[in-house]
Amino acid sequence: MLFNIDNAYSALGVLSLGLLMTIFLTIICGATSLVAGVFVALAKMSKRRWLRAITGSYVTIVRSTPLLVQLIFIYYALPFVGIRLNPLSAAYIGLSLNVTAYLSEVYRGGIEAVSKGQHDAAAALGMKSSVAMRRVIFPQALRTLIPTLGNYIVSLFKDTSLASVVTIQELMFKGQIIAAQNYDYMTIYAMVFLLYLAVGYPSIRFVTYLEKRMKNGYAVKKASKRKVGVAL
Amino acid sequence: MSTPIIEIKNLTKSFGSNLVLEDFSTTIQKGEVVGIIGPSGSGKSTLLRCINFLEIADSGSISIAGEEVKVDGKGGHSVPALKIAQLRTKVGMVFQQFNLFPHLTAIENIIAGPKYVLKEDQKEREQKARNLLEMVGLSEKMDHFPEELSGGQQQRVAIARALAMNPEVMLFDEATSALDPEIVGEVLGVMRKLVDDGMTMLVVTHEMGFVRQVADRVIFMDEGKIVEEGPPSQLFDNPKHPRTKDFLSAILSHTE
Repeated sequence: MLFNIDNAYSALGVLSLGLLMTIFLTIICGATSLVAGVFVALAKMSKRRWLRAITGSYVTIVRSTPLLVQLIFIYYALPFVGIRLNPLSAAYIGLSLNVTAYLSEVYRGGIEAVSKGQHDAAAALGMKSSVAMRRVIFPQALRTLIPTLGNYIVSLFKDTSLASVVTIQELMFKGQIIAAQNYDYMTIYAMVFLLYLAVGYPSIRFVTYLEKRMKNGYAVKKASKRKVGVAL
Repeated sequence: MSTPIIEIKNLTKSFGSNLVLEDFSTTIQKGEVVGIIGPSGSGKSTLLRCINFLEIADSGSISIAGEEVKVDGKGGHSVPALKIAQLRTKVGMVFQQFNLFPHLTAIENIIAGPKYVLKEDQKEREQKARNLLEMVGLSEKMDHFPEELSGGQQQRVAIARALAMNPEVMLFDEATSALDPEIVGEVLGVMRKLVDDGMTMLVVTHEMGFVRQVADRVIFMDEGKIVEEGPPSQLFDNPKHPRTKDFLSAILSHTE
């Protein structure tokens, strides 16, 4: 038989541990990148030229090279210049640097898409540009970006499989270990496949749901906002 | 006894090779209602945007309530951005496209300035917002988002939002031009209330009937300059300059 139930059953515990590591990496790298991406985006739009230059080169370098190469470089090459990272730190830094660069571009696009009239209206009320960004521009940008950001986090979830190259024992790596022991590649990798699918599929459905919700406009959340003064 | 609220001196502004304002000077007194009329592209909107520093003139100066801001000639103003922000709180602006904040409800739009700029306490700003909504006749719409309001309602909220800053002068930049004709009246009605309350106003508009009724002074602009100015009775009934006559006859012939 191609798919061996017994092998699958005995691998399930170890693979679940791997899946937990995958989810853990997704959460910490995702949270870091969602926040850091905003600051990189703002730095890229800064009036200070040096700040734009630094963040611009960072984003360009990350986007022009493969994530796999970035991870290998951080873990295997940096020790030669005295930067020794444990596997988890290397994976965390590598994945976060990568996703932050992409998300910063997403944020920047969203912020720039907010109409000039909104900037004018905020300025005319006497808002400083930092206040206008925080209270008027960014909230509008963020709302339109939520589905896109969600897609990037789902991508991150899948890309954490690359962390296996820096010996992180996530789902993919656990699968490789077991398959190397029992040679039942079909069963073990089918399990790995299904476990990714079990998390990934609901996630993309959720992103699709968010996309639909965004199209409904601001009034949909009114029921929860009926009480005046709650939001302000 | 007159107190100037706005003094514009020798303001010049061009976009590329297109000269929009040419050596423009005028003074607006406290309580004065000034209508600014003229063909499109004559610099009316740019003038209002310069007064609120949304546009930076090429040369000249603008004084708001006695504080002078010059153009520094390097694409900036002679005072820091914080000072500009502070001066803007004295000048309310109403835009042709309303520019309400779409992510905030009507009352939240009105509260935004008092909350984030004036730092008024919650009770005070909410009470004020409610009063303003009542004044513009939209009390029952306070929890509606802009997308749920008609154009006229949005513009009335926008007027209330500007008034919530307790401005010393209000600028209206073609406030009714984006509205359907049957809606224009409700916005003009609110503006009329402000006139009755003694608000200082600069009104750029194509509503000649409104200007004639409420303005103390009318400025006819063309090609970035004042062609003619005076009380409405004089400017509308007895224009001196041929360009004023042409403009008025063109406007009146298609509205009547």
